[in-house]
Amino acid sequence: MNVLIVEDEKSLANEIALFLRSENFLCELAFTGDAASEKLAVNLYDFVLLDLGLPDYDGLDLILEARKAGSEASFIILTARGAVEDKVKGLDLGADDYISKPFALIELLSRINAVARRKFNVNSQDMVLGDFVLQIQARKLTCRGNLVDLTKKEYDLLQYLVLNHEKVLTRQQLYEHIWGNILDDQYDSNFIDVHIKNIRKKLSLHASAPWLETARGVGYRVIIDNL
Amino acid sequence: MIRLNTKLALFNLLSRLAITAILLIFLPLIIERVNLRQVDNDLIQKRENVIELISEVGIEPFITSDTTETFGSYNILKEEFISLERIETPDDLNFIEVASRLIEDEEIVYRVLNYSFTVEGQKYLLEVGKSISSIQQARKNINRVLIVFLASVIIFTLMADLQYTRKILQPLGKITSKLKGISNPETFDKTPVITTTHDFSRLDRALNELMTRIDEAFRKEKEITVNISHELLTPVSVLRSKLENILLIRDLNPEVSCKIEESLRTLHRLQTLVNSLLLIARLESRQYLREDTFSVNDLLKEIVSELNPIAVDKGVFIKEEYEDDFMIKNANRPLIFSMFYNVINNSVKNTPPGGKVSLRTISKHKLFSVTITDSGKGMTEAQMNTLFSRFKTRTGSESEGTGIGLAITKSIADFHEIGVSASSETGKGMTFSFIFSENS
Repeated sequence: MNVLIVEDEKSLANEIALFLRSENFLCELAFTGDAASEKLAVNLYDFVLLDLGLPDYDGLDLILEARKAGSEASFIILTARGAVEDKVKGLDLGADDYISKPFALIELLSRINAVARRKFNVNSQDMVLGDFVLQIQARKLTCRGNLVDLTKKEYDLLQYLVLNHEKVLTRQQLYEHIWGNILDDQYDSNFIDVHIKNIRKKLSLHASAPWLETARGVGYRVIIDNL
Repeated sequence: MIRLNTKLALFNLLSRLAITAILLIFLPLIIERVNLRQVDNDLIQKRENVIELISEVGIEPFITSDTTETFGSYNILKEEFISLERIETPDDLNFIEVASRLIEDEEIVYRVLNYSFTVEGQKYLLEVGKSISSIQQARKNINRVLIVFLASVIIFTLMADLQYTRKILQPLGKITSKLKGISNPETFDKTPVITTTHDFSRLDRALNELMTRIDEAFRKEKEITVNISHELLTPVSVLRSKLENILLIRDLNPEVSCKIEESLRTLHRLQTLVNSLLLIARLESRQYLREDTFSVNDLLKEIVSELNPIAVDKGVFIKEEYEDDFMIKNANRPLIFSMFYNVINNSVKNTPPGGKVSLRTISKHKLFSVTITDSGKGMTEAQMNTLFSRFKTRTGSESEGTGIGLAITKSIADFHEIGVSASSETGKGMTFSFIFSENS
């Protein structure tokens, strides 16, 4: 998929590009609004990651321009946190999602994937994890046909790990994903540990789950490939 | 404290009462004096009339020279009399006295003028009298009129005073009511108060200027906070992405992974701090929308269901008592969520295993309150004083927090005009109370 990254902070744009390329995206960069405007007029993109704080351009004008030019790109707005008005305006103008800086690259990827699934109407396939099956459409986890009784948060946590399988997710990334950017300073590694502990307890009632790994001192990871 | 209006009215009343008292004491004395002089002048005038008459017609018509009888004349009510008699004293008499006279077997007290004169070698005594009771009657009448007059003057002027002071103090009332309940200089009503009083318009102008200046200073401060925060968040974003990319390298040395994760955690603390400052600055400049209506109990239940796994893991029991519910209007749900979440999370953290956190909602006297009580160590008075300030953590606290959580809670409460207070007994835990006014 083609992605245009519009971000005036070059090193950030480069890191995003590096990450997305490793996920097999084709990335182009625009560091100014003018450059972005030109690229949008000439090329077709599936996604535009748009920083609203461009020095030379009102980011929202870019969306308007692109829409006028008939672009079908999905816009994901990258902006400073809590700018409520911008958020509302951005979504009204046809931005597809909104993520506040600083964000986790994994979170950005999962937002892009979510928009892509919506856009291309792709039904997520069930994920097989040993004896377990994660039914993404139905939002449930089963083990040999039996439902594993997970709370909503536990399910969300597990699904996030499964969708980003093979990657170690830090507790902070998991916490941010599940609890949004909750407005507090109470980020507590213990939080995720307790939930993982509870999930493991529930899984162990059905079957062993070696695919849910602890990366010591870093976080958690789901391994599917070599199962 | 007494209102200015009342003070002025009270002073007016007292000063009038004092003047009246003085008048009531001294006026009768003066009136009596004047009255007496008037009576005496009257008596002298009458004496002159009689003497004139005698010099015209002679003494004979009144009294014959060979009899000893006395001439007397008085009016029907015996208020006045005139008498003429022969006397044999060598002295000349001319004086006024108070004496009683017997008239038709009735003893009456008169003010009497005694005057002696000689006609053809014979001495006569002329007495002209006016009854004291008639003099007193006149005085009483005057006193009565005086009292009625004074009373009506006092009442009338007092009413006029009250009306007038109320009218001229009206602009002052407007100015003070503008100041009442100002939590934010931004919300100060800057329309000038209409007044013809120079002092009030100066006061009003001075206040408006002051508020504008404070407002400006606040706005600048917030702007600086917001700008600095944004500037700080950009390098944080860059660093974060770089570190995350490193962490994604396959087969990375576990030791390096750990170090990177630690760095990410430190970076996250910086991010949270900056975001918290940004949040508070935005709250103070009212940059959040307030358009949600929701049940406070539902919100609390949601928070408890999120925190319960942590509490259960720690062995802390969260007790919920929902006696009443409250539909909060014009609020920002995520903010209110954070407000309660911070406090309940804090309480769970500060309660030792086996302890209890109690949540209670109750409505009383048009006030809805949410209280959160923990059975932790509580706080000392010194700690309580800095409870809602930024960057103050409880000593001995094991949390990773930056100590800004309660400052955020306070800012959110202020933003929504929710009263928040905390109380603690060292060793017996803490209680946080949130008070919602049901009228708002």
